[in-house]
Order: sequence, then C-alpha cells, then structure tokens
Amino acid sequence: MIEIEHLTYTYPGSPAPALVDLSLRVNTGEFVLIAGPSGAGKSTLLRCLNGLVPHFTGGTLSGKISVEGHDPVREGPHVLSRIVGFVFQEPHSQFVMDRVEDEIAFALENAAMPPGEMRVRVEEVMHLLDLTPLRSRKLETLSGGEQQRVAIAAALAFRPRILVLDEPTSQLDPQSAEDVLQALVRLNQEWGLTILLAEHRLERVLPYVDRLVYLPGPNGRAPMFSGPPREVLPHIDLTPPLITVGKALRWEPLPLTLKEGRAFAARMPALPPVQRALSVPPRENAPLLRIQDLHFSYDHHPALCGVHLTISPGETIVLMGRNGAGKTTLLKCIVGLLRPQRGQIWLNGEPITGQPPEKICQRVGYLPQEPDMMLFADTVMEELWTTLRNHGLQHAPPVPPCDLLVTLGLEGYADAYPRDLSAGQRQRVALGAIAVTRPRLLLLDEPTRGLDYWLKQQLVRLLRTWKQDGTAVLLATHDVEFAAQIADRVVILSNGQVVVDDQPTVLAASPLFAPQVARLFPDTGWLTAEDVMNAYPIGV
Amino acid sequence: MIDPRIWLFWAFTMLVAASEVRNPLYILWLLLVAWIVEIRWALHRGQKIPWSFRWGVLLIPLAGLFNGMSVRIGETVLLRLPSWLPLMGGPITLEALVYGVLNGMALTIILSAFLTFNRATPARDMVRIVPKAFYEAGVILSIALTFFPLMLRTVQDIREAQMVRGHRIRGLRDWLAIWLPLLMNGLERAVRLAEAMVARGYGAPFPSGSPMGVQFSLAGGLTALLGGWLVRLFVPQHRDAGLGVLLLGVGLILGTVWWVGHAHPRTGYRNRSWTLWDGLIGLGCGVAAWILIDPFSWVDPQALYYSPYPRLLLPDFHPWVGLGLLGLLIPAFAKRSSEID
Repeated sequence: MIEIEHLTYTYPGSPAPALVDLSLRVNTGEFVLIAGPSGAGKSTLLRCLNGLVPHFTGGTLSGKISVEGHDPVREGPHVLSRIVGFVFQEPHSQFVMDRVEDEIAFALENAAMPPGEMRVRVEEVMHLLDLTPLRSRKLETLSGGEQQRVAIAAALAFRPRILVLDEPTSQLDPQSAEDVLQALVRLNQEWGLTILLAEHRLERVLPYVDRLVYLPGPNGRAPMFSGPPREVLPHIDLTPPLITVGKALRWEPLPLTLKEGRAFAARMPALPPVQRALSVPPRENAPLLRIQDLHFSYDHHPALCGVHLTISPGETIVLMGRNGAGKTTLLKCIVGLLRPQRGQIWLNGEPITGQPPEKICQRVGYLPQEPDMMLFADTVMEELWTTLRNHGLQHAPPVPPCDLLVTLGLEGYADAYPRDLSAGQRQRVALGAIAVTRPRLLLLDEPTRGLDYWLKQQLVRLLRTWKQDGTAVLLATHDVEFAAQIADRVVILSNGQVVVDDQPTVLAASPLFAPQVARLFPDTGWLTAEDVMNAYPIGV
Repeated sequence: MIDPRIWLFWAFTMLVAASEVRNPLYILWLLLVAWIVEIRWALHRGQKIPWSFRWGVLLIPLAGLFNGMSVRIGETVLLRLPSWLPLMGGPITLEALVYGVLNGMALTIILSAFLTFNRATPARDMVRIVPKAFYEAGVILSIALTFFPLMLRTVQDIREAQMVRGHRIRGLRDWLAIWLPLLMNGLERAVRLAEAMVARGYGAPFPSGSPMGVQFSLAGGLTALLGGWLVRLFVPQHRDAGLGVLLLGVGLILGTVWWVGHAHPRTGYRNRSWTLWDGLIGLGCGVAAWILIDPFSWVDPQALYYSPYPRLLLPDFHPWVGLGLLGLLIPAFAKRSSEID
C-alpha cells in the first residue's frame, strides 16, 4: 500500500513547488493511471515513490510518504529499489548492458545474488514478458515495444511489489504500445502487482485501470482528482474522443471501453454517412511537391521501395505506418539529408534531388523527431535570427520574427533560454526556427510526441492557421487521433512502400490506425469527436 | 564462446608479435593469421572484407612512403629528390621504403587484432574480467563503450538538425551549433542513465573497511614498491633487501585490491566453464608467446628482429617458428557463438 499525506515538493532553484499538498492512497494490487497536463508533476510524484526525489534531485520536501511501510525519503532509492520497480520513458536511455538477458541480470549481479537464484529470476521475468525468444538478442536490434518490455523485465528482476512507469508508451507505435499495455495488465491481474502509470494518451490506458489520478496543471486550473475513472473523467476538460463524445451525448454510466461505447452508439438515431469535405482539392492544383519512384536503402536494407507521392499547396498529409516503415527516411530524402538511390523529387516543378539540404530547406521546413537537437542559442528570439542568418535572410526576413512568435504563442518568451521552456514550448521554438523562412512546405516528424491534449490542440490550431496561408504539411505520426483531426489525406507506408494514399476516412477501416470515433460509429465517415458533435445536437 | 581472458591473451600476444617481429616473412605470416581470424570473428553481417584490410591497403603504402621520404639510410638508392625540398630532399632508398612497409604491416596487425578482440568479446564480458575492486570502473568503461556510438549518432542527428536550418560549418565558431546541443544532450542522457541505475539499486553501499585504511595500505604498498626499486638501483650491496621491500610493496597492493574486492561482493550471471577450445587457444598463444619472448635455442633471435639496413637481404624463415606462430590461428577454427551476430 502507498500512502502520501500532504506532500509538497520544490525543485532546487525553482520558484514554485512541483507538487502542492498532495494526498493519495493506493491499495495493493491496484492499477493506477496518473494523468494531467505537462508540468503537472506526474513524473515528480512517481519519483517520490522510490526516493529518487529528493535523494537524486535535491530540493525541499515536506509531508509524509509510506510505500509498503517504508519511507523513501528516509531510506533512499537503494532500499526502495527492492520494493518499487521503475521504468522510464525512453527504454534505450536506461540500458547499461548490450543483451537482453544481461540487462535483466544487471541489478541482480550488483546485489550479489547467488547465480542459481539469479537465473531463476531472469527466466521468470523473461517468461512473464514473452522475452524468452529474444534472450540473446542485442538491445539495439529490438523494436521500441520489445525494448520497453525488456526495461519492464529489468525493473521486475527484484520481484518488487510495485511497478511504476513514466510514460512508457509515448515513443511507441499503436501496436507496440498495445503489447506493452497487455503485458502490464497481465502483471497486474496474474501477479497482483500494484502498478502506477503516468501517460498522456489516456485512450490507450483507460480500459485497463482501476483508478485515475488527475493532477491539475502547474497554474492550478483544476483541483486534483482521484478515484475510479468514471468518477474522475467528468471533471477533466481534455479527454480521449470516446469520453468527450460520451460526456457530450450524456451517456451514463460513462463508457471507458469501445465495447461499452458501442452499446450507447447503437441506440443513437441513425444518420446517413457523411463525406468529409476536403478543404483543398489536391488533384486540381499544380503539385507543390512531386515524388516519383523513390528508392533508398541503408546498407542494402531497403527502406523506401518505389514511393510515389504528390502534395498540393495548402494540403495536410499524414504519413503513418509502424516503426521502421520508412516515414522518417522519406522525410529526410525530401530535404536532402539522405540521397535516394533512385527516383526523383520536384518542388514547384524544379528537380531538387541531390541538392544540399541547406538549399532545399530555404523552401521546405523540416522538424526532426528531437527538436532539442536544434536549440542552442541564448534566447528564443536568437534561435529565429540564427536560421535567418544561416540562409542570408537577416536583412529581409520573409516573416518578422516578432510576428511569428505571436503566431506560435511565444511572444512572452522572446528573451527566455529555450532549454528552460516546457516540452511543448521547446517544440514550438524549433517549429519557429524552421518556419521563419516561411517555407511553403512543412515536414514534421512525430510532432505530438510527449505532448498532452492541450498542447496537441494548440498545434492543431497553429497548423490550421498556416494551412489558410497555403502552407502544405507532410507529417509523420503514430498518433491516430491527431491524424484524424488534421489530415486532408492519409498515406500509409509499409516496408518502404505506399500501401494507402487516400482520404482520411480510409483510417476508419484500418484495424491498426482507426481512431476511436471511427470504431465507435463505423460506416459513418466520422473520425473525430467534433464530427459526432456536429452530427448530433448536444444532449440527444 | 571463447573465454574473454583467452581473447585478451590472444590480443596481447598479437600485440607483442607485431611490436617485436620485423622479419618480412614472419610479419606477412602474422598479418595473414590476423586477417583470417578477423574474417572468422569480426565481420559484420553482409560485410565481406575485414575493416583492417581496407585500412591496411591505405596504411601500408602510406607508412612505406612516409618512411622512404623521411629516412635516408640504406644502400639501394632508388632516386634522389632535389636537396632544396624541405625534409624530403635526398636519396630515397629501397631499405627505408621496405622498413616503412613493415611498420605499416605491424600497425595493421595490431588494428586487426583489436578489432577482432572488440567484436568477439562483448562489453559485459570485459566488465566481468575486471577484478572486483575495480568493478565500478569496469561498469563505467562498459557504459562508455555503449555511450560512444550513441554520441556519434547524436552528433549526426544534431548536424542534420542544424543543416535543415541552413547551417554550414565554415569556421571554428560554427561548431558551437553542434557542440552545445551535444553537450546538453550528453549531460541530460547521463543524468537519465544515472537515475535509472540508482532506481535499480546500483551504488548501494556495502559494509566494508574504512576508506582511510585502504588509502594507507595502498600508499604504504606504493612507497615500499618505489623504495625497494630505488634500493636495488642505487644501493647495489643491498639489492636482495631491496627486492624484499619491493615484493612486500607488491604484496601490500595486491592484498588491498583483494580486500577491497572482497568487501564489494558481486556475482556473475554467466558462469563460463573452461572449454577445450579455450585450452587449445591458450596453448597456441602460449607457444607463440614463448617463441617471441625466448626463441628456440637453434633459432637465431635476429631472424625475428630482422632489419633491412644497410642493404636489403633475403630474410630467414624457420619452419618451426612459422609453425609456432600458427598457434595464433587456432581461434579461426573455434565455434563462433550466435551472440556475435
């Protein structure tokens, strides 16, 4: 059992506390989801449970924490490591060894466990997480989902009674995320393990949890809520589409799973299927970007095999596919970071294949997966000027940097140090750094990674604003709900080939990429909660 | 799977051989041995030519050229460069070129041996052969080994991220856009890893002797070692006493290391059992090492340490020595573990 009473914690040098007077009780064997906007203190709360906060971070802590009768503040993370297994967001950043078995055994070797017992423990957790066939594999050769399962196995090697996970599925595609969650459900149900999980994408986790703890934002938009999901969800503003629809249509009790939701949906008055109007009829415009028969291989491993694609001005295309399908490779080929072995790319009718990235990127903005790799200047404003100077545009900026900061919602942060900002703000700074040349085409690689619902809505609004100006967007994402909101067209890649290039309604039929609303109301052509609410008057 | 200590012994013997041997026939013999073992153990999937071969093709002629241009010894003058050419002016001799080529071959052997050792011995095995007292240092080494390729990948990611902003590296100042994100990223990653390791119980204190005692013991050992050596060097009438003090120092240091290791118990997940191949390779390396350090009485030691100066002569080749050095080829016949792939 975990008991927290009046916990307040402030990071060193921080003017405001990360957690304020938090009280919580978690019973043994519960599966608890910790939700809340970025900066709400989810990770801090989880780190308090094994003593990483304050032992590793410093800072001031008041209040009382008891984890299975132990005090993490007094006893520290070394003692608590036997009771609380901890899994971090990025699996590869927590690995010490290079092979599956050795990674799992690392903590046990450190604790000088007798070899016989150690082997039993390693076999046990590998069996539990379906890792036995991967036991000798190098960690770098595993998929994201497999790596995360290894990280969970390593955390379970000490047979802890509590497993704590900090956004373990944020880097994973839907199928890998589902595999990890299924493993957690098994651990919870069959082993009786207490699980605390912080996660932004509630739609993935809600069906499995016993309790939802909602931490309000740093500016205290709402009080903290804790209880069964059905009791807490009505108090939260931004929720998964199923819950949003359920709340809007006043479904009682609020459905948590699609199965429950379908029972309500079936009782709704039938409406004829709608055709989502495309804001840009792509085929009628001259293409902004044309890709023909593009091939690219990494050391004889084909990543792109004959890709054909066209993008029109003002069009938003969402590129989907499992990890390793070739999404990032395609984006990098377009901006010249990778040179295709075959095929041709035209931008505004001009062939750009083989041109240096610096030249292409005057007209094409590319936001890589890790926006932090871009940021190095002292201020947000300086980041924008750096790009302008790089392109020789400092004397005649295509868009005034001050105006761009307003569009990005960063006008109050012009003099801030970029790396001090939140994840969402940093991402917008990076977006500004590539958009300051006013490119007509934006390429975004996983732009919603690590963003909460609030920040995702901000990004949707921003991209829609730019779309009005005729900016085309090609974005790669695993986030099906985001894709459903933003896409004019969906392109699905598989093994380097375009297997789908169609209107977003095609997602409705995809077992892997269908958004919740499409699963809830099949054959209607609806993809987002907005579609449902437009179709039914509130309170039907 | 070959025991990492045996691999270490093999790599060390190759290093000694490459450093000692300059007989062109033996050194060619050793180079072939190194390449065959590398082909067997160190080729990546899809790779057909060993890395050291590619380097060797570049390194050997370059070393020959460099030596030929910079060394003026030797009787077989191939050509004379004008004396006004700085550093290079003067006679270019065949002997100097050959000696440079031999040095290039020796460097290629060392490179090949270490590539093989590195590829055939996973980082975790290297950590496990480190004495317990240096376990922490071993773990740091292991992390560094996995950190380095990650860092190279990060440099590439940062370069790409900056290139798409139109960044070009034209001067020293332009590197700031690479180094600053790299530094920040490296620090953040190090903190994340440290946090993950602490959360898994790494660094938990074990009951052990006082650090002060360890420091005194080590300092005493080093003092005795140095003192004994100085006595042997400068006071010939007390050489035996000096040896005694020196051995006492060595004993004290080893004892301290053992004691510290004993106070930090660790266990190993993989218990390796000694295999026939370990024995055979160890024996092969032992024979080769014996030949290199103390050649057979009927072999002229100068045959190994051949010099082409002042005039190039055909070197000797003793079949028994060649056969003995073939002991280093035994790993090429051992079963390769699937773990290497």
